[in-house]
Amino acid sequence: MMMPVRCFSCGRVIITDYIRFQENVEKIRREKNREPTSDEIDQIFSDLGVNRYCCRRMIISHVDLIDDVIGFD
Amino acid sequence: MKIKILQISERYARFEIEGIDYAYANMIRRTLINDIPKLAIKNVTFHLGSIRKVEEDGKAKVYNSSTPLFNEIISHRIGLIPLKTDLNMKFRNECDHPADQACPLCTVNYTLTKFGPGIVYSGDLMPIGDEKFAPVDPNIPIVKLDENQALVIDAEAIMGTGREHARWQVTSGVAYKVHREFRIPKYLEIIDLIRKDCKANIISDEGDVMIITDDIPCRHIAKLYRMDEVKMEEDESRFIFQFETDGSLSAKETLKFAIKRLRTRLDRIRDSVVV
Repeated sequence: MMMPVRCFSCGRVIITDYIRFQENVEKIRREKNREPTSDEIDQIFSDLGVNRYCCRRMIISHVDLIDDVIGFD
Repeated sequence: MKIKILQISERYARFEIEGIDYAYANMIRRTLINDIPKLAIKNVTFHLGSIRKVEEDGKAKVYNSSTPLFNEIISHRIGLIPLKTDLNMKFRNECDHPADQACPLCTVNYTLTKFGPGIVYSGDLMPIGDEKFAPVDPNIPIVKLDENQALVIDAEAIMGTGREHARWQVTSGVAYKVHREFRIPKYLEIIDLIRKDCKANIISDEGDVMIITDDIPCRHIAKLYRMDEVKMEEDESRFIFQFETDGSLSAKETLKFAIKRLRTRLDRIRDSVVV
């Protein structure tokens, strides 16, 4: 549905990191016209300060479905 | 016992304590995780039914209070938002009145009114009274509203600790490790990489072996564990801690409180022992 506010395992507030992560990924897609490589994604996470893999999997595995369910209030 | 701060910023701290053992180190870790009080929203009251609003053209428009997410999910998300905390506030059960009542010393009230379409952010959550209790980060999305949907909420925040619920957990990623030293013979190729990328880790670079430490994160250190030529020594009296906070308290305040709190926790054990 919507991105969880905190990481399930450690409790870090990851939703603001998710928004910034998406902006950075979009930037790479727009400027280089391709999907970001795994090294670039690693670099984005390091720049955001998301260092633990529990927080990283939260962001990387998330599918935002809120726009699909918004019609069924 | 000696404490040395290696790195400290608003939300992150890394420090070294010398002259303790594992039991003591774990005590500090557990205090940091579950015994730091902070403010978080406990009760959320939703306005249910239709909500009327006078639009700019002077006509009244009726909004619906139903939202894409269940009210339980919304209140859970609101609870997890970090709020700026004043450590002088009291726990509700330690306040002078009965536990089912509230007073400004133990409770902060919030309101939220938002009309769709659009995303409701934590910045829309307004504290009643002092502005200093506003959410730390105003950009946390709570829920997305469609056209003709509105959200009107009253919320009540109280103090609590992490042992009760994750919403009162100040710190995340609290961990410690022992101080390690690696002795690397200088004929290995990795020496050049370490000199280039991990200058801060080098303790001594004289003679035939280079001595480095992994107290500071460095990406070449993982390779050293797999090399037979490299000798590793652990010093089990020096502990390197690190933790980060969610912004409700600064890292410095958290550490100060944890160390003060340790003493009361230990006093409680001593007092309860019957001789």
